[in-house]
Amino acid sequence: MINKEMISNDRTGEKYVRIKHPSGLDIYVWKMDNYNTTHALFGTKYGSINAKFKTKNDTNFVTVPNGIAHFLEHKLFENEDCDVFSLYAKTGASANAYTSFDRTCYLFTCTMNVYESLEILLKFVQEPYFTEATVQKEQGIIGQEIRMYDDDANWRVFFNMLQALYHNHPVKIDIAGTTESIAQINADLLYKCYYTFYNLHNMVLSIAGNVDVDKVLEVCDKHLKPNENIELETAFEYEPDTVCKHEITQKLEIATPIFNIGFKAKPEDGMERLKAEIETNFVLSLLADESSDFYKKLYDDGLINSTFSSEVFSGDGYFCSIFGGESRNPIVVRDRIIAEIERCKKDGLDEERFNIIKKAYYGDLIRSLNNAEAVATAMLNNGMEKLTVFDNIEAVAACTFEDVTVRLEKQFNTENVAISIVEPINSKED
Amino acid sequence: MIKNSRKKIKDGIHFTTILNECQKTNTIIVHFVTKLSSETAALNAIVPYVLSNSSDKYRTLTELSKKLSSLYGGTLKGSASKIGDSQVITLMAGCINDRYTFDGEKITEELAKILVECITEPFLEDGRFSESDFLLKKQELLDDIDSEINDKSVFAFKRASMTVYKDEPCAVSAKGERIEAEKITALSAYEQYKKLISEAQIEITFVGSEVCENAEKYLADAFSSIERNYAGDNYSDFSPIKNEPVNVTEHYDVTQSKMVIAFKSDYKNSSAMKVMNAIFGGTPFSKLFVNVRERLSLCYTCSSRYNDKKGVLMVKSGVENVNIQKAQDEIMNQLKVMQNGDFTDDDIKEAALDMINSIKGVNDGARSITEWYFQQSYSGKKLSPEDEIENIKAVTREDIIEAANSLTLDTVYVLTGKEESSNDK
Repeated sequence: MINKEMISNDRTGEKYVRIKHPSGLDIYVWKMDNYNTTHALFGTKYGSINAKFKTKNDTNFVTVPNGIAHFLEHKLFENEDCDVFSLYAKTGASANAYTSFDRTCYLFTCTMNVYESLEILLKFVQEPYFTEATVQKEQGIIGQEIRMYDDDANWRVFFNMLQALYHNHPVKIDIAGTTESIAQINADLLYKCYYTFYNLHNMVLSIAGNVDVDKVLEVCDKHLKPNENIELETAFEYEPDTVCKHEITQKLEIATPIFNIGFKAKPEDGMERLKAEIETNFVLSLLADESSDFYKKLYDDGLINSTFSSEVFSGDGYFCSIFGGESRNPIVVRDRIIAEIERCKKDGLDEERFNIIKKAYYGDLIRSLNNAEAVATAMLNNGMEKLTVFDNIEAVAACTFEDVTVRLEKQFNTENVAISIVEPINSKED
Repeated sequence: MIKNSRKKIKDGIHFTTILNECQKTNTIIVHFVTKLSSETAALNAIVPYVLSNSSDKYRTLTELSKKLSSLYGGTLKGSASKIGDSQVITLMAGCINDRYTFDGEKITEELAKILVECITEPFLEDGRFSESDFLLKKQELLDDIDSEINDKSVFAFKRASMTVYKDEPCAVSAKGERIEAEKITALSAYEQYKKLISEAQIEITFVGSEVCENAEKYLADAFSSIERNYAGDNYSDFSPIKNEPVNVTEHYDVTQSKMVIAFKSDYKNSSAMKVMNAIFGGTPFSKLFVNVRERLSLCYTCSSRYNDKKGVLMVKSGVENVNIQKAQDEIMNQLKVMQNGDFTDDDIKEAALDMINSIKGVNDGARSITEWYFQQSYSGKKLSPEDEIENIKAVTREDIIEAANSLTLDTVYVLTGKEESSNDK
């Protein structure tokens, strides 16, 4: 008997379906009226940070080289007899895949042949095929990809900041791993990680757009291979509250220095993480969005330009708030931000702006329901945390000024700050 | 179901309404289209920076942003881009549909007013853009021009275009060159702004789920009361083919090289050329992807795109320094394959399917549908996405071979490491 549940929300009048499939997979389907497009994601809760794990079949935790999640993503796109892109070529769907810190997703967007494309998606992700020869070839391609990112200033400035913020947590390591770590990858390791993390109990299927739930289930019933629950656990090395380094600088061929300033905070899980993310976002907007006096002051003093922005970056075992952009004097920007945080802790935040920002957040969430890709992605991201898309909207609606004030104290310890700067090669110090 | 209407409201000003029931937002986009030239590109480019920052009513970005936030996170953005030989200055505003507001507030109408005020009533001091704000915006334009180097792949494409389109308007970058941007003053920018409002071709587009009469009327009235000295329609010519292919190599501090190869053609059946491009390098199952990247592992990226306004097909690749020649040889070899007709009927079917799949999705997004009809009016066409699908289906094997054979090598541009860093590995 399939367990089908309607998830709905009065505030928006929207709804979608959650299915606990007998195979172990959680499936989410959102039918969007009057859309041509359908977007589907098949994802596993397995990203670059998950290099230490155990299942009920292991006595101890196992540690594997960095970069396997991303390597697997590349390899799964190759079937025993052909490339996955050539399968999708028959349906017209546009396919892709990505690996992040805590998940790997395979996806397609299409405006026709939805169920044929879904079959392809379910089949190839469940059919690993690796040989030493294909692994070796991929080491070459991924080596190129790593080198491409070596030249990418925005990528470098971000990872250098993570290196400064974190002592041990693997979030500090490049998603693709390093040239050295991928050299240690072989077919056996890939199979080991595949069967650990690509267990349907650890995965989510999410589809939004011009789609019918019963037809989706028909395809799922036919192609999902039931999995045993292997009681997967992941673990991380101990991570202190303090930062590893306060400052890190690199030189690259760019024009204006770019910076990332991170404030490290304690990580949270599930609903608590969602609340922490929303409240911290409110703090960031109140401190330094375009309608803040602080932003204007930095801007008028020529310290920042319109590239300046802030965001929350969080996941399993990490949580930080980041300010980034271009500046001729990033150190002064950091000092001003610290001073502004301390000032707000003393004088309080602006309640009138809190209420305006709340409307804006609500508007942003409605806007995100406009597009099949965003809807499918939101269902998947929330589903992996056992949350719903509407938890997000309701948590924004429930957030109070007091919550945000408490969050400022809790999440912004100005001792736990790190700045990463990428400077032009030809900067004046040379 | 999509409803689409375009009407003239004044000399060179058109108003397009696109209604699609699936939209949860309302979007208003204003395009100013003008000829690209190295003298005016930067001057025009600074205009959206200034206009999206403030208006006479909301004199600072702080006030304007606060007002937009209160409209449930309304957005107002400016940008400069190019299409063919023309420069396009865009101001775009968006907000959620009124029916999602807490108390039924009429936010779309308010947003339309703010957009019009930013465009027609900028914040002026002494008969020019406010000096202090202007200087910050100018710095920002300069920073943006300078930081084009940060993304090496985009940068290589820009540098390559300067050779590919040498002596054509299209060679000019959408934001202009630094040397011209440095000369801009608050007065010269204001003068150029007036010229743009008066002389440029203006396309206003409203996209939403239903008619928003008040907002549309407000926009139409505001734009029809502008005093006009319309300079005439814009068009682009196909890029002339060079007598001899040109090779350019530039050295920067990079780990991975970027190569751009440009081919030109005077072939007029753009649907056929697009299908040919899809088979050759436009998809992840194309000849270039499968052979240059997957089979030979010569590049991490290798793809092609066709500029139908200029008749130019460009191949972009990210390649190890030592593999540059091998990659170039293989790209040329794959074009030969196309020219010899060495592709299957399935290849044609799949390329067409890929294109049709994405064209069918155009209707779902406010920006994509606006862009679609803007491109149509620019080219003097009226094709709907559905019409274009029929054209693609009609393309034959012979058309594709003819399209491939019409391509002539024009430029090979390589951005590579400096001497000392190019001998690693």
